[in-house]
Amino acid sequence: MDAETIIIDSDAGVMCARQKGRELAMAIGIAGSDLTLIATAISEVARNIVQYAGQGKIEFRFVEGRGRRGLLIVARDQGPGIADIGRAMEDGFSTSKGMGLGLPGARRLMDDFEIVSEVGKGTTISMIKWGHSQ
Amino acid sequence: MPLSATHPPEKFLTLAEMMNISEQELERRKQILQFGPEDEERLLKLAPVSTRSAEAVIEAFYRHLLAFDEMRAFFPDPALLARVKARQKEYFLRLTQGDYDLDYAEERLKIGAVHEQIDLPVKHYLGMYNFYLRELWRYISEADRGHPDETLATFFSLMKLTFLDISLAIDTYIDSRERTIKALQQEVIQELSTPVLPFREGMLLLPIIGQIDSQRARQLTEHLLLAIRANRAKVIVIDITGVATVDSRVANHLVQTVDAARLMGAKVVISGISPEIALTMVTLGIDLGPVYTVGDLQNGIEHAERLLGYRVEKIAETGDDEKEA
Amino acid sequence: MDVPILKQGDYLIASILGALTDTALTRLQENLVRSVRQYRSKGVVIDVTVLDVMDSFAARTLRAITVMTRLLGAKVVIVGIQPEIAFSMVQLGLNLEGALTALDLEDGLALLKAADKKEQDGFRRHGR
Repeated sequence: MDAETIIIDSDAGVMCARQKGRELAMAIGIAGSDLTLIATAISEVARNIVQYAGQGKIEFRFVEGRGRRGLLIVARDQGPGIADIGRAMEDGFSTSKGMGLGLPGARRLMDDFEIVSEVGKGTTISMIKWGHSQ
Repeated sequence: MPLSATHPPEKFLTLAEMMNISEQELERRKQILQFGPEDEERLLKLAPVSTRSAEAVIEAFYRHLLAFDEMRAFFPDPALLARVKARQKEYFLRLTQGDYDLDYAEERLKIGAVHEQIDLPVKHYLGMYNFYLRELWRYISEADRGHPDETLATFFSLMKLTFLDISLAIDTYIDSRERTIKALQQEVIQELSTPVLPFREGMLLLPIIGQIDSQRARQLTEHLLLAIRANRAKVIVIDITGVATVDSRVANHLVQTVDAARLMGAKVVISGISPEIALTMVTLGIDLGPVYTVGDLQNGIEHAERLLGYRVEKIAETGDDEKEA
Repeated sequence: MDVPILKQGDYLIASILGALTDTALTRLQENLVRSVRQYRSKGVVIDVTVLDVMDSFAARTLRAITVMTRLLGAKVVIVGIQPEIAFSMVQLGLNLEGALTALDLEDGLALLKAADKKEQDGFRRHGR
């Protein structure tokens, strides 16, 4: 598989992305409860796209590293961007400080997480969940 | 730098890096085997022989291998066998293509890793190398009849390279075993250090001892939540007497654990909060929400029992009975 | 496609089945609130055992259901939150403000009955 892309422009896209994430994660042997974590992280990130950028896309790819396979999920939009990434990623308490974008939470649900954003240009969030060794 | 498959982040390690096989290490192994440029040259000269005999050698090898019952199970269908033979042929030809550098080592490590993961016994893996050496000796000695010294030298070069390959393959087997053991150890340590103890029906006891970092907090929470479901627990007593320091991070983890347990319908009692910890938490403005906090474990258990509707009464001491009579 | 709502005496039970679209969730909100009013229910049990993901939208909707239902004088119990859902919820900082929670339907109904009984006893004692 090269890359699979889901267009996100409505809640149907959000659900589609969640399903796709689950399906692909299962294909590389990711376990039951991790599937829920992945689907949840995708859901949050996808909803942000719909809410703040109107539309965007989520790309799925398999990656390899450290002798195992992982699922790379890249959520891209050309929305307003996040001015203060530091604040958005602030690890607050469970009563969610941060900016309510669910990003620190999404990061905690995934293994690797990176965000690049520029005001006026858009936001790209990359996250990886690793499976066990091949 | 954004993560992407076309631009993998530096943290993706090769097998060689993971197993500490550096350029120097590879050089060292060659030195140990006294494998040098002359050996490489001889192997390159062997290439035509290798190419001519590859098909026959591989066929002979699999005939030999599949004579063993336990090996037949590895090749249930002909398509798979064909693929594997093709790859073995590549492997075989690579022995005489020179450039025995870190990339070569990486390839060998990968092959070893794959064989280890399908649980190919080491004895068959070594048997394979042995077979190649013996077969190739036949072809080499036939091709080089007039020059016995050269023939033997070529064979030795091949043997050195094969031993290099074997050392790399064995390393992957060992590395994999070690990682399995480490993972099992981790599991055991986890179980021991985050014990969730069913106490009464509907009650779980979670004594936390030592430092809580993010990973441990996560394990703890997952373990607790699964136990709540399995035991249909309605009250959890979390005892933090054994937790050395409670800073904002630890308190945060505690809050999350408590919140998650509540989402599953369980009430939480926290015991073992020392006055110092209480002060710290107030100062940090930490709100554990509606939990019952008590000083020590005994109070915690009693409180939990009350929440569950138990009333614990002490029956008369054994001495009194006699007095009464 | 709508989430079925069952009436059991004074209580309503809504069992969510798997992946819910946003529309279905919003419709559940409308239907539940209308039903509570119609049947003068004392409590609502929402069973999310089979819900695949609890994200911010789902949590928000459940909160809204809880608030509206309580304004109508009824209680809400959310049951069946699975370990991995509970875990991701706290990671994301999602909460179900004001809703009671229980392990499953059985416990949820027991909780409602117990809470109602306590209230009744309270009324009787204080003559309200």
